[in-house]
Amino acid sequence: MDIISQLQEQVNTIAALAFNTFGTLQRDAHPVKLSPNYPDPPPPSNPTEDPATAAGNVSEQPKLMTAALVKAAKQFDALVAALPPAEGGEEVQLKRIAELQAENDAVGQELQRQLEAAEKELKEVQELFGQATDNCLNLKRPD
Amino acid sequence: MATATYPPPPPYYRLYKDYLQNPKSAPEPPPPIEGTYVCFGSNYTTDDVLPTLEEQGVRQLYPKGPNIDFKKELRSLNRELQLHILELADVLVERPSQYARRVEEISLIFKNLHHLLNSLRPHQARATLFHILELQIQRRKQVVEDIKRSRSSMMRTAITEYLS
Repeated sequence: MDIISQLQEQVNTIAALAFNTFGTLQRDAHPVKLSPNYPDPPPPSNPTEDPATAAGNVSEQPKLMTAALVKAAKQFDALVAALPPAEGGEEVQLKRIAELQAENDAVGQELQRQLEAAEKELKEVQELFGQATDNCLNLKRPD
Repeated sequence: MATATYPPPPPYYRLYKDYLQNPKSAPEPPPPIEGTYVCFGSNYTTDDVLPTLEEQGVRQLYPKGPNIDFKKELRSLNRELQLHILELADVLVERPSQYARRVEEISLIFKNLHHLLNSLRPHQARATLFHILELQIQRRKQVVEDIKRSRSSMMRTAITEYLS
Protein backbone atom coordinates (compact mmCIF):
# COMPACT_ATOMS: atom_id res chain seq x y z
CA MET A 1 0.00 0.00 0.00
CA ASP A 2 1.38 3.44 -0.80
CA ILE A 3 2.50 5.69 1.99
CA ILE A 4 -0.42 8.13 1.84
CA SER A 5 -2.95 5.31 2.13
CA GLN A 6 -0.97 3.96 5.07
CA LEU A 7 -1.07 7.38 6.70
CA GLN A 8 -4.82 7.58 6.17
CA GLU A 9 -5.28 4.10 7.64
CA GLN A 10 -3.16 5.10 10.63
CA VAL A 11 -5.32 8.20 11.25
CA ASN A 12 -8.43 6.02 11.21
CA THR A 13 -6.75 3.55 13.58
CA ILE A 14 -5.92 6.35 16.02
CA ALA A 15 -9.55 7.54 15.89
CA ALA A 16 -10.86 4.02 16.51
CA LEU A 17 -8.45 3.47 19.42
CA ALA A 18 -9.38 6.82 20.96
CA PHE A 19 -13.09 6.23 21.01
CA ASN A 20 -12.71 2.58 22.02
CA THR A 21 -10.59 3.75 24.95
CA PHE A 22 -13.15 6.28 26.13
CA GLY A 23 -16.03 3.92 25.53
CA THR A 24 -14.44 1.13 27.54
CA LEU A 25 -13.48 3.45 30.37
CA GLN A 26 -16.98 4.81 30.49
CA ARG A 27 -18.53 1.37 30.48
CA ASP A 28 -16.30 -0.11 33.14
CA ALA A 29 -15.96 2.87 35.46
CA HIS A 30 -17.26 2.64 39.04
CA PRO A 31 -20.46 4.62 39.68
CA VAL A 32 -19.96 8.07 41.20
CA LYS A 33 -21.28 8.71 44.71
CA LEU A 34 -23.79 11.56 44.46
CA SER A 35 -24.16 12.25 48.18
CA PRO A 36 -22.38 11.02 51.30
CA ASN A 37 -25.74 10.01 52.77
CA TYR A 38 -26.35 7.27 50.25
CA PRO A 39 -25.20 3.82 51.34
CA ASP A 40 -22.35 2.13 49.45
CA PRO A 41 -23.46 -0.37 46.83
CA PRO A 42 -22.98 -4.02 47.74
CA PRO A 43 -19.66 -5.42 46.47
CA PRO A 44 -19.92 -7.73 43.43
CA SER A 45 -20.71 -11.26 44.65
CA ASN A 46 -18.05 -13.07 42.62
CA PRO A 47 -15.40 -11.21 40.60
CA THR A 48 -14.84 -14.15 38.25
CA GLU A 49 -18.49 -14.07 37.11
CA ASP A 50 -18.01 -10.65 35.59
CA PRO A 51 -15.78 -11.20 32.53
CA ALA A 52 -15.05 -7.49 31.94
CA THR A 53 -13.45 -6.90 35.32
CA ALA A 54 -11.90 -10.35 35.44
CA ALA A 55 -10.31 -10.17 32.01
CA GLY A 56 -8.41 -7.02 32.53
CA ASN A 57 -8.75 -5.47 35.94
CA VAL A 58 -10.12 -1.96 35.89
CA SER A 59 -6.68 -0.50 36.48
CA GLU A 60 -4.91 -2.59 33.81
CA GLN A 61 -7.17 -1.79 30.86
CA PRO A 62 -6.53 1.97 30.69
CA LYS A 63 -2.79 1.32 30.73
CA LEU A 64 -2.99 -1.16 27.86
CA MET A 65 -5.30 1.02 25.81
CA THR A 66 -3.32 4.20 26.30
CA ALA A 67 -0.14 2.31 25.43
CA ALA A 68 -1.79 1.19 22.18
CA LEU A 69 -2.90 4.77 21.45
CA VAL A 70 0.58 6.17 22.04
CA LYS A 71 2.09 3.41 19.91
CA ALA A 72 -0.29 4.25 17.07
CA ALA A 73 0.63 7.94 17.34
CA LYS A 74 4.34 7.06 17.22
CA GLN A 75 3.74 4.90 14.14
CA PHE A 76 2.04 7.86 12.51
CA ASP A 77 5.09 10.01 13.24
CA ALA A 78 7.35 7.32 11.77
CA LEU A 79 5.23 7.17 8.62
CA VAL A 80 5.34 10.97 8.29
CA ALA A 81 9.13 10.83 8.57
CA ALA A 82 9.16 8.20 5.80
CA LEU A 83 7.39 10.54 3.37
CA PRO A 84 9.63 11.46 0.43
CA PRO A 85 10.95 15.03 0.61
CA ALA A 86 8.71 17.58 -1.07
CA GLU A 87 10.86 19.07 -3.84
CA GLY A 88 9.58 22.50 -4.71
CA GLY A 89 5.98 23.31 -5.43
CA GLU A 90 3.52 22.48 -8.13
CA GLU A 91 5.11 24.73 -10.79
CA VAL A 92 8.56 23.20 -10.37
CA GLN A 93 7.12 19.70 -10.70
CA LEU A 94 5.09 20.61 -13.78
CA LYS A 95 8.14 22.23 -15.38
CA ARG A 96 10.22 19.10 -14.81
CA ILE A 97 7.45 16.91 -16.20
CA ALA A 98 7.26 19.11 -19.32
CA GLU A 99 11.04 18.82 -19.77
CA LEU A 100 10.89 15.06 -19.38
CA GLN A 101 8.06 14.86 -21.88
CA ALA A 102 10.09 16.83 -24.44
CA GLU A 103 13.05 14.52 -23.86
CA ASN A 104 10.75 11.51 -24.16
CA ASP A 105 9.45 12.79 -27.51
CA ALA A 106 13.00 13.35 -28.81
CA VAL A 107 14.11 9.87 -27.73
CA GLY A 108 10.94 8.44 -29.26
CA GLN A 109 11.71 10.06 -32.59
CA GLU A 110 15.29 8.79 -32.49
CA LEU A 111 13.93 5.33 -31.77
CA GLN A 112 11.55 5.61 -34.70
CA ARG A 113 14.41 6.61 -37.03
CA GLN A 114 16.62 3.74 -35.87
CA LEU A 115 13.74 1.33 -36.28
CA GLU A 116 13.03 2.47 -39.82
CA ALA A 117 16.70 2.24 -40.77
CA ALA A 118 16.95 -1.23 -39.24
CA GLU A 119 13.85 -2.40 -41.10
CA LYS A 120 15.23 -1.06 -44.37
CA GLU A 121 18.50 -2.89 -43.83
CA LEU A 122 16.61 -6.05 -42.95
CA LYS A 123 14.73 -5.85 -46.25
CA GLU A 124 17.96 -5.30 -48.15
CA VAL A 125 19.62 -8.24 -46.43
CA GLN A 126 16.62 -10.43 -47.12
CA GLU A 127 16.72 -9.44 -50.81
CA LEU A 128 20.42 -10.14 -51.04
CA PHE A 129 19.93 -13.46 -49.30
CA GLY A 130 17.21 -14.35 -51.77
CA GLN A 131 19.45 -13.45 -54.68
CA ALA A 132 22.32 -15.45 -53.25
CA THR A 133 20.18 -18.53 -52.81
CA ASP A 134 18.81 -18.12 -56.35
CA ASN A 135 22.34 -17.93 -57.67
CA CYS A 136 23.33 -20.99 -55.69
CA LEU A 137 20.35 -22.91 -57.01
CA ASN A 138 21.07 -21.84 -60.57
CA LEU A 139 24.72 -22.80 -60.32
CA LYS A 140 23.95 -26.19 -58.87
CA ARG A 141 24.08 -28.88 -61.55
CA PRO A 142 21.12 -31.16 -61.71
CA ASP A 143 22.15 -34.68 -60.92
CA MET B 1 -36.54 12.89 -18.60
CA ALA B 2 -38.63 9.76 -18.15
CA THR B 3 -38.02 7.82 -14.99
CA ALA B 4 -39.34 4.30 -14.68
CA THR B 5 -38.23 1.13 -12.95
CA TYR B 6 -37.46 -0.75 -16.18
CA PRO B 7 -37.40 1.91 -18.90
CA PRO B 8 -37.31 0.73 -22.51
CA PRO B 9 -34.10 1.35 -24.50
CA PRO B 10 -33.94 4.86 -26.01
CA PRO B 11 -35.48 5.09 -29.49
CA TYR B 12 -32.24 6.36 -31.16
CA TYR B 13 -31.48 2.92 -32.54
CA ARG B 14 -33.80 3.58 -35.51
CA LEU B 15 -31.44 6.28 -36.76
CA TYR B 16 -28.63 3.75 -37.29
CA LYS B 17 -30.53 1.49 -39.70
CA ASP B 18 -28.24 2.15 -42.69
CA TYR B 19 -25.03 2.61 -40.72
CA LEU B 20 -23.20 -0.27 -42.39
CA GLN B 21 -23.92 1.00 -45.89
CA ASN B 22 -23.45 4.67 -45.17
CA PRO B 23 -21.75 5.59 -41.88
CA LYS B 24 -22.53 9.26 -42.42
CA SER B 25 -26.30 8.77 -42.44
CA ALA B 26 -26.39 8.29 -38.66
CA PRO B 27 -25.90 11.15 -36.19
CA GLU B 28 -22.49 11.77 -34.62
CA PRO B 29 -21.98 10.69 -30.97
CA PRO B 30 -22.72 13.53 -28.52
CA PRO B 31 -19.77 15.74 -27.55
CA PRO B 32 -18.18 15.30 -24.10
CA ILE B 33 -20.13 17.00 -21.33
CA GLU B 34 -18.64 19.99 -19.57
CA GLY B 35 -19.69 21.40 -16.26
CA THR B 36 -22.23 19.60 -14.11
CA TYR B 37 -24.49 16.75 -15.15
CA VAL B 38 -27.25 14.68 -13.60
CA CYS B 39 -26.78 10.92 -13.35
CA PHE B 40 -29.39 8.66 -11.71
CA GLY B 41 -30.91 11.63 -9.96
CA SER B 42 -27.78 13.12 -8.39
CA ASN B 43 -25.54 15.93 -9.60
CA TYR B 44 -21.97 15.30 -10.59
CA THR B 45 -19.29 17.66 -11.77
CA THR B 46 -16.71 17.03 -14.48
CA ASP B 47 -14.11 19.12 -12.69
CA ASP B 48 -12.61 16.79 -10.07
CA VAL B 49 -10.95 19.00 -7.51
CA LEU B 50 -10.58 18.56 -3.77
CA PRO B 51 -12.92 21.11 -2.12
CA THR B 52 -11.19 23.33 0.40
CA LEU B 53 -12.07 23.04 4.06
CA GLU B 54 -13.93 26.37 4.04
CA GLU B 55 -16.24 25.06 1.34
CA GLN B 56 -17.13 22.21 3.67
CA GLY B 57 -17.64 24.57 6.60
CA VAL B 58 -14.62 23.34 8.55
CA ARG B 59 -12.01 25.63 10.14
CA GLN B 60 -8.52 25.12 8.74
CA LEU B 61 -5.93 24.64 11.46
CA TYR B 62 -2.77 24.49 9.35
CA PRO B 63 -1.49 27.62 7.56
CA LYS B 64 -2.68 28.33 4.05
CA GLY B 65 -0.25 29.17 1.26
CA PRO B 66 1.25 27.79 -1.91
CA ASN B 67 3.98 25.68 -0.33
CA ILE B 68 2.99 23.78 2.77
CA ASP B 69 5.57 21.78 4.71
CA PHE B 70 3.43 18.66 4.91
CA LYS B 71 5.65 16.74 7.30
CA LYS B 72 5.81 19.55 9.84
CA GLU B 73 2.07 20.21 9.70
CA LEU B 74 1.19 16.53 9.99
CA ARG B 75 3.45 16.15 13.02
CA SER B 76 2.06 19.23 14.75
CA LEU B 77 -1.52 18.11 14.07
CA ASN B 78 -0.69 14.71 15.55
CA ARG B 79 0.69 16.38 18.69
CA GLU B 80 -2.37 18.59 19.00
CA LEU B 81 -4.58 15.52 18.64
CA GLN B 82 -2.85 13.75 21.52
CA LEU B 83 -3.15 16.87 23.68
CA HIS B 84 -6.84 17.15 22.93
CA ILE B 85 -7.43 13.50 23.78
CA LEU B 86 -5.75 14.10 27.14
CA GLU B 87 -7.87 17.21 27.65
CA LEU B 88 -11.00 15.20 26.93
CA ALA B 89 -9.99 12.65 29.54
CA ASP B 90 -9.44 15.48 32.06
CA VAL B 91 -12.75 17.12 31.26
CA LEU B 92 -14.60 13.83 31.68
CA VAL B 93 -13.13 13.52 35.16
CA GLU B 94 -13.59 17.12 36.34
CA ARG B 95 -16.47 18.67 34.37
CA PRO B 96 -18.25 15.84 32.54
CA SER B 97 -20.98 18.05 31.11
CA GLN B 98 -18.53 19.96 28.91
CA TYR B 99 -17.39 17.02 26.81
CA ALA B 100 -19.11 18.21 23.61
CA ARG B 101 -16.72 21.07 22.90
CA ARG B 102 -13.66 18.83 23.29
CA VAL B 103 -15.16 16.11 21.09
CA GLU B 104 -15.88 18.75 18.44
CA GLU B 105 -12.28 19.95 18.56
CA ILE B 106 -10.98 16.39 18.21
CA SER B 107 -13.19 15.78 15.17
CA LEU B 108 -11.99 19.11 13.71
CA ILE B 109 -8.39 17.94 14.03
CA PHE B 110 -9.24 14.65 12.33
CA LYS B 111 -10.95 16.46 9.46
CA ASN B 112 -7.88 18.68 9.02
CA LEU B 113 -5.59 15.64 9.07
CA HIS B 114 -7.59 13.89 6.38
CA HIS B 115 -7.82 17.01 4.25
CA LEU B 116 -4.06 17.51 4.45
CA LEU B 117 -3.47 13.90 3.40
CA ASN B 118 -5.92 14.25 0.52
CA SER B 119 -4.15 17.38 -0.70
CA LEU B 120 -0.94 15.32 -0.88
CA ARG B 121 -2.50 13.13 -3.57
CA PRO B 122 -2.00 15.50 -6.57
CA HIS B 123 1.64 15.84 -5.53
CA GLN B 124 1.88 12.04 -5.46
CA ALA B 125 0.24 11.81 -8.88
CA ARG B 126 2.75 14.24 -10.39
CA ALA B 127 5.66 12.38 -8.79
CA THR B 128 4.33 9.08 -10.18
CA LEU B 129 4.03 10.63 -13.66
CA PHE B 130 7.60 11.91 -13.39
CA HIS B 131 8.81 8.45 -12.39
CA ILE B 132 6.93 6.74 -15.24
CA LEU B 133 8.36 9.20 -17.80
CA GLU B 134 11.88 8.59 -16.51
CA LEU B 135 11.42 4.82 -16.79
CA GLN B 136 10.05 5.17 -20.31
CA ILE B 137 12.98 7.33 -21.41
CA GLN B 138 15.41 4.83 -19.94
CA ARG B 139 13.72 1.91 -21.74
CA ARG B 140 13.63 3.77 -25.07
CA LYS B 141 17.32 4.68 -24.81
CA GLN B 142 18.10 1.04 -24.05
CA VAL B 143 16.17 -0.13 -27.11
CA VAL B 144 17.92 2.46 -29.31
CA GLU B 145 21.30 1.19 -28.07
CA ASP B 146 20.30 -2.42 -28.74
CA ILE B 147 19.17 -1.62 -32.27
CA LYS B 148 22.39 0.32 -32.99
CA ARG B 149 24.48 -2.53 -31.65
CA SER B 150 22.74 -5.24 -33.64
CA ARG B 151 22.86 -3.12 -36.82
CA SER B 152 26.59 -2.54 -36.46
CA SER B 153 27.26 -6.22 -35.73
CA MET B 154 25.18 -7.21 -38.74
CA MET B 155 27.14 -4.77 -40.91
CA ARG B 156 30.42 -6.20 -39.65
CA THR B 157 29.32 -9.79 -40.33
CA ALA B 158 28.08 -8.86 -43.80
CA ILE B 159 31.35 -7.11 -44.64
CA THR B 160 33.49 -9.99 -43.36
CA GLU B 161 31.39 -12.48 -45.31
CA TYR B 162 31.66 -10.37 -48.44
CA LEU B 163 35.41 -10.04 -48.11
CA SER B 164 35.99 -13.74 -47.42
